[in-house]
Amino acid sequence: MSTLSIQTALRLLGLASVAMLAACERPPVISVQHGYAGTGMAQVYNPATVEKQQEANQVPEATPQASPDGPKAGQVYQNVKVLGDLSVGQFTRLMVNMTAWIAPEQGCAYCHNPANFADESKYTKVVARKMVEMTQHINTDWKNHVAETGVTCYTCHRGQPVPKEIWFTADNAPKGANFIGDTAGQNSPAKTVGLSSLPNDPFTPFLLGKEEIRVNGNTALPSGNRTSIKQAEWTYGLMMHMSSSLGVNCTYCHNTRNIAQWEGGPPQRVTAWHGIRMARDLNLNYMETLTEVFPANRKGELGDVAKLNCATCHQGAYKPLYGAGMLKDHPELGRDTVLASSAPVKAAKAALQASAAAPAAKR
Amino acid sequence: MPQYQNIFTTVNAVGPVSPGVELGHGNSPRTGQPLINYWLGKLGNAQLGPIYLGGLGLASIIFGTLAFNIIGFNMLAQVNWDPIQFIRQLFWLALEPPPPQYGLTIPPMNQGGWYLLSSLFLLISVLLWFARTWRRARELGLGMHIPYAFLSAMWLFLVLGLFRPVLMGSWGEAVPYGIFPHLDWTAAFSLRYGNLFYNPFHALSIAFLYGSALLFAMHGATILAVGRYGGEREIEQIVDRGTASERAALFWRWTMGFNATMESIHRWAWWFAVLTTLTGGIGILLTGTVVDNWYLWAVKHGVAPPYPDVFPAVTDPALQATPSGVKP
Amino acid sequence: MAMLNFEKKYRVRGGTLLGGDLFDFWLGPFYVGFFGITAAFFAFLGTALILWGAAMGPTWNLWQISIAPPDLSYGLRFAPLLEGGLWQLITVCALGAFVSWALREVEICRKLGMGYHVPVAFGAAIVAYATLVVVRPVLMGAWGHGFPYGIFSHLDWVSNVGYQYLHFHYNPAHMIAVSFFFTTAFALSLHGGLVLSSTNPGRGQEVKTPEHEDTFFRDIIGYSVGTLGIHRLGLFLALASGLFSALCIVLSGPFWTRGWPEWWGWWLNLPIWSQWPLQ
Repeated sequence: MSTLSIQTALRLLGLASVAMLAACERPPVISVQHGYAGTGMAQVYNPATVEKQQEANQVPEATPQASPDGPKAGQVYQNVKVLGDLSVGQFTRLMVNMTAWIAPEQGCAYCHNPANFADESKYTKVVARKMVEMTQHINTDWKNHVAETGVTCYTCHRGQPVPKEIWFTADNAPKGANFIGDTAGQNSPAKTVGLSSLPNDPFTPFLLGKEEIRVNGNTALPSGNRTSIKQAEWTYGLMMHMSSSLGVNCTYCHNTRNIAQWEGGPPQRVTAWHGIRMARDLNLNYMETLTEVFPANRKGELGDVAKLNCATCHQGAYKPLYGAGMLKDHPELGRDTVLASSAPVKAAKAALQASAAAPAAKR
Repeated sequence: MPQYQNIFTTVNAVGPVSPGVELGHGNSPRTGQPLINYWLGKLGNAQLGPIYLGGLGLASIIFGTLAFNIIGFNMLAQVNWDPIQFIRQLFWLALEPPPPQYGLTIPPMNQGGWYLLSSLFLLISVLLWFARTWRRARELGLGMHIPYAFLSAMWLFLVLGLFRPVLMGSWGEAVPYGIFPHLDWTAAFSLRYGNLFYNPFHALSIAFLYGSALLFAMHGATILAVGRYGGEREIEQIVDRGTASERAALFWRWTMGFNATMESIHRWAWWFAVLTTLTGGIGILLTGTVVDNWYLWAVKHGVAPPYPDVFPAVTDPALQATPSGVKP
Repeated sequence: MAMLNFEKKYRVRGGTLLGGDLFDFWLGPFYVGFFGITAAFFAFLGTALILWGAAMGPTWNLWQISIAPPDLSYGLRFAPLLEGGLWQLITVCALGAFVSWALREVEICRKLGMGYHVPVAFGAAIVAYATLVVVRPVLMGAWGHGFPYGIFSHLDWVSNVGYQYLHFHYNPAHMIAVSFFFTTAFALSLHGGLVLSSTNPGRGQEVKTPEHEDTFFRDIIGYSVGTLGIHRLGLFLALASGLFSALCIVLSGPFWTRGWPEWWGWWLNLPIWSQWPLQ
């Protein structure tokens, strides 16, 4: 073996090392203990990442509150179905904020016909109405997940008409041929599961459907638990998503020595449990009901609407916007604002709540 | 003055290649003209070949190649036959076992059928290779220690791919063929069964695995350290103890109070390595069949350590009277 | 006198690193030496501290005893004894005992006219231990990152630290280390088996020769590394296992804070194919 080939080999080795090391980070790191000393339950953060995250999670300044006095928007404007109980001032203020939160470049015309603001020819207006209802529903009925911090349109949209983090049901039909090469919904590098080869669409079964996430038995010896290793992989895939969505690792919610155990474990897990149920509720009772409303270019490869998961709100932060509460500046998003006199809308809303209550009560 | 450390051979002495010990009746002639490789000679023997290609070996290679190809073509199909994506995504690709709903029945080809066929060919290949090691040892008049060690590895292989799936009633429990996917399987296995660190046979297997590394470091280093006395001539030293064996033994006796002999160290070695897969296989076999949650098993047997509570009290929300959030 | 029948002629003076003739003697089969004294001191003290820690703890159950490191909040300072300080002292004793043991092995090698391969190999193991309890905690800014001293509690630490990186199996250095561990066990079974098969060839057979050993492996796989080569290879495999293990843990935290699967993004996004989508 000649000197030249040794040199070439060494150069290639050097190149490979540089490529791999360039992928690494460097000290110092910030570590936060989260359990008893020595259990290894800790969050480890790269200061540069934290800084970037904070820049990306700036909350827009609150606009001054409008007076609640004066005629109601539902009496003055036409076709106001869910925000009728607001004063004209409050209503206008909310509209201005929604434009800034969702379509700052596109402006009012993104949802409205500029010649007739009541006109519903644009699908975006119909969607926006449903979204207002959804936001109010989250802030009133899902306090066990969002507490008093609550959410506004900005929490998901962040100045974009389509939120950055949405999902569609994956098309896992075989690609190469029908008789060979089935991926079984996994075994490709998917961002949804942090580039692992775990099942890459855990959202359809767990955040739209009500498939059982738990896989562990609660007795030492077998007592009827027939869940498979495969099912554990699916749950693992969901957990990978939750970790990257919140920018935390598994020990934020679990002591992995007994990952299924609740007693003695972190309380964050309870909040997350409610979060999963909330995501199911919202996807089933709000997003999916808009299937006929969205145009084809806004749907997935299987023709389904965009849906939400943990990342939609959290976007890499353990609390969306690191816990900055925008709701306090927009109390109208935290209550029912249907004008009292508007009976048909009330009835529709009651029907919606009834259908939402029934499936949620089962779990 | 720098001293020779017996790590790399400084002068490669090259002589006539060795055709190997002559074999008796019923054996094929050996294949291949032996080569001398300088770089191999820096570490060990410089000679490459000849190899014995008998019926058992050829059959083993054929079945093994078939299994390998079934896996490979399934992976290639997964990326729509694109060779660039094949290389790019190689570590993620896999041939998956059947989904659990098929139990122990034969599923469609693309839903685990290829997996079962590939596993069958791989099993046959391994059995044929075992027979090869047995036959070659016999023909050379050697003891059966290597074939028996191979049996221990085959025990683990069979537990993972055959015995446990059968006992669990599902081919889907078997390990997928793929780099990252088989690691996903490993993690999911531990997660599903309550943390395998609490499985006592898993702990034993790890003790023997680390012990094997410890022993080979100790033994390898010891022999190199007495290389100047011909320590690597182990057979000679066993039947006729020389100063190499004596110094090696005394090193350990003076260090830790007891020692092995030139022969018995190889028994320690064999047992530690063989017990790694033997106990490991037992640990896998008991998981899911006899024990469903190893942590709870450990609690039951009083070995799980307690920790002080540092969090406010948490209870399982699914057990609460009024489940989650929607107003009635 | 606990001596083997050939031992007397090897018991000569000399080879010591420190202390000259003062500690150059044997206690039963054990060689003492200056570093034997220090090793015994550190080992005794460390063990006594562990026992005291256990007495201060909730249990005497051997499997459940655990000495915890300090909280992360103590940083790199010395913590109160019962809040991790004990762990720190025990760690110092452990390092003192291990290094003493290695230096004592050096003295024994010198006395026996052997190379230093064994203490150097042991040094690799000490490096791995020091990486876990000194290097990595220092790089991360707190002694609390060390592992607790307890049979099952240290495994809880392994589990949780692994899951800090979501799926530790994807750590490339861990993959290399595991491969080396498995290969070491494999090679050990082959070497032990081969030597035993030559010297215990079965009923009616003669003891075989290295030529038989070489022929067996050339017949089976086309290559035989040889009697010297296998010991070099085995030592290399075993040390590589330990050193890559140390590497894999020192990378996790100081040099990588995300999930390990995500690290593989550099490969997926290489300029040669990043323009094509993954599906």
